[in-house]
Amino acid sequence: MPRADVVVIGAGLAGLTCAAELAERGASVFLAAKGMATTHWTHGGLDVAVADGADTPRAAVGHLAMRDGHPYARLGGDVEAAVDAHLARTAAAGLPHVGSVDASLVAVPTALGTLRRAAILPTAQAAALEPWTDEGLLLIGFDHYRDAWAPYAARNLGAGVWEQGPRDIRGVTVELPWLERLNNLNATTLARLFEDPVWRARALAAIVAAVPSGRWRVALPAVLGVASHAEIHAAVEEAIGARAFEVASLPPSVAGMRLFDALRHRIEAAGGRIQVGFEISGVEREGRRIVAVQQAAAARPLRLVADSFVLATGGIAGAGFRGRRDGTLEETVLGLEVSAPPHEQWFSEDPLVPHPLERAGIDVDDELRPAELDNVRVIGAALAGMHVLEERCGDGVALASAHRAAAGLARARAAA
Amino acid sequence: MTFRDAASTDFPPFSTDNCIKCTVCTTVCPVARVTDLFPGPKYVGPQAQRFRGPSVVEATPDHTVDWCSGCGYCTRACPAGVLIAETNSRARAAMVDTRGGSLRNRLISDTDLLIRLGVPLAPLANFGLRNRLARWIGEKVMGVHRRGPLSTFARRTFRSAWKREGGLTDLPAGADPARTIAYFHGCAVNGFEPELGRQAIEVLERNGFTVIVPDQGCCGLPFISNGLYDQARRKARRNLESLAGLARAGVRIVGTSTSCTYAMKAEYHEMLDLDDADAHAVAGATWDICELLVDLHERGQLDTGFGPMDEPIPYHPPCQLRSHGIGTPAMDLFRLIPRLRAVDSDHDCCGAAGTYGLKVERWQIAQDVGAPLFAKVRAAAAEGASRAVCDSETCRWQIEQSTGVDTVHPITILAESYRRADAAGREPWRRIV
Repeated sequence: MPRADVVVIGAGLAGLTCAAELAERGASVFLAAKGMATTHWTHGGLDVAVADGADTPRAAVGHLAMRDGHPYARLGGDVEAAVDAHLARTAAAGLPHVGSVDASLVAVPTALGTLRRAAILPTAQAAALEPWTDEGLLLIGFDHYRDAWAPYAARNLGAGVWEQGPRDIRGVTVELPWLERLNNLNATTLARLFEDPVWRARALAAIVAAVPSGRWRVALPAVLGVASHAEIHAAVEEAIGARAFEVASLPPSVAGMRLFDALRHRIEAAGGRIQVGFEISGVEREGRRIVAVQQAAAARPLRLVADSFVLATGGIAGAGFRGRRDGTLEETVLGLEVSAPPHEQWFSEDPLVPHPLERAGIDVDDELRPAELDNVRVIGAALAGMHVLEERCGDGVALASAHRAAAGLARARAAA
Repeated sequence: MTFRDAASTDFPPFSTDNCIKCTVCTTVCPVARVTDLFPGPKYVGPQAQRFRGPSVVEATPDHTVDWCSGCGYCTRACPAGVLIAETNSRARAAMVDTRGGSLRNRLISDTDLLIRLGVPLAPLANFGLRNRLARWIGEKVMGVHRRGPLSTFARRTFRSAWKREGGLTDLPAGADPARTIAYFHGCAVNGFEPELGRQAIEVLERNGFTVIVPDQGCCGLPFISNGLYDQARRKARRNLESLAGLARAGVRIVGTSTSCTYAMKAEYHEMLDLDDADAHAVAGATWDICELLVDLHERGQLDTGFGPMDEPIPYHPPCQLRSHGIGTPAMDLFRLIPRLRAVDSDHDCCGAAGTYGLKVERWQIAQDVGAPLFAKVRAAAAEGASRAVCDSETCRWQIEQSTGVDTVHPITILAESYRRADAAGREPWRRIV
């Protein structure tokens, strides 16, 4: 029966960040999650906001804040502090970033050879943000690694879509040692091979040999190590004598694994406890307060008693919500009311244009409390009012809401 | 099992329908991290499951599932609730059922038999266990790696010593079941580490419990790990028969092996399909000893008169403990001991995984899985730690064998700490009524 000041439910960017900030502020924190969350599916960078006519994340947040019911209407003022705190926190954990809310959004390439707009990236990906002058872009893929096809990506990027991009874009596939003998090759396998100094030396020799003469900036799949990625990235740049950057891969995302590890270490270093792997199976309520939640452990639930609870279980993609047969959405942990469009709007011809169902979520007050409960804060993708795919505000809302909740709970603790 | 139950996604093979192919499980797999022989939990689990029958009685199409060590990290990482490790254990069992288990696996799983043979012959058996030539022969003939982590046999089993001293084996008339503990010693205490059993009883009695040691045998976990489910069920049923009555009477069953207690809490049900009232009663009554002590502490009932232990200890929470979902109770208890400096290993798995690290073809994998842990333990020893701590016996033996650093159960530390307090002349602790 662990007791804590705050129990955070959910281990995505929002939950991890909120738990880290609470622990840093001296609260006792227990983070409970049913499994690893969306960090392992993401590019590892920071998408704060994108909007037409907005040149920086700050400007884009301003645009989104004017949209009806958007979380940034409440949280817009917290974004800068939350992003700065995230950059300081991850840097302290050995995962530095480049960029800020005032940096220009620029087009950076994806593994498929499409473009996305970004302003803040982990240092390993940051060279993609620098303006293109006279050097070409060399995309490197690895033979037998099927999640990043460099020639295909180069062809897409070279098809006239990239206005401010490099003049010369090429893609090469490099044969790295041993890979043809491996039965199973994904981003994780490659990242672990890069951690091995002997293999890495041979791999670097093969990579260097594949770089043609001329001035290049080199893009590689985001597989350059996990724990030692900073040194490995530096070693790659030194070996090829050029700037190199990582492009996020398909899941499992090594960049996302690094982010998860960095935040987990920050929580634990600050005395927070984490138990991932068991869902919340029961909630003990007294009137408008939760007194405990039960994490479904072996044979009997683990009772987590706390003064406050933070719900960071995500939206539909993160399985924080589930569709009911009656055409409504159910919030899966606390049973909160989900504000959602009517069932006939759940289906749309194109899932990638703003989808009505994306806006589904929990309505909260300024302290991020839901209507039903006084000692609960809702953060991250569970909040109503976003079109995350179009607005690309998922990370920014996660950070800003985590910060708002942590700061509010810390104030409440100090007052009590 | 009814069709309705079987069709539920709580039934491990059907839970694979929930897989969203995100591959998170593969990123946390300790075995896939070090060898390409194992394609990872997703491939042998949710992917391969599509080619197996719904009840997994048909053999698996792919034998690589046998490289799974059963640590359970995949199940705990899965965001979609897929019971990956449990599905893979069943797939291995189906495979063993079709192909037959090797003589080696049948023998090293049968710890009751090994203890029955080894303890009476302890001087000879232990000579063999320590003798290089004998171990070399064991490797060539039996496939048990010459440097595989094996403990030496005790001169007398814990049970026989307990009985000879007239220890209780059943709930005494008039005893309060809530203040009585049925101690599940497991094979490790019975045949190899009886002193740990003594320490556990000392700690429990100090906290006001009457301890009984009911009839019991191997929990069956080694058979489960080796896919020998029929043998495992026989072991499980014997324990359920002797323990279910006590569980129903309200006696808690407490073990010092996180592996045995996890088998009784979860695996009898999730792997062996033992789903009757006895299995549920025993599961609900089973506690890990550190879990129980932390629970007492949270109720204000733990004797916290711990004497100071001025030493650093590297502590490794074993995989089976993590499957319990009870956090790391040993670390919570260590915080109560003055001057003890316990540091969590922050490493996933020691590699031993019960019998996995003994097998000649897997020994190196087990070593590679545990290598970062061994480096941490050696570094701690170089900085003055005289021993490491871990809750599970085969993990302790693996850490000892691989680092040369003595490795003990958390209860050993607690028992010593209590004794130091006594030596310092503190008031004997009063029983909580």
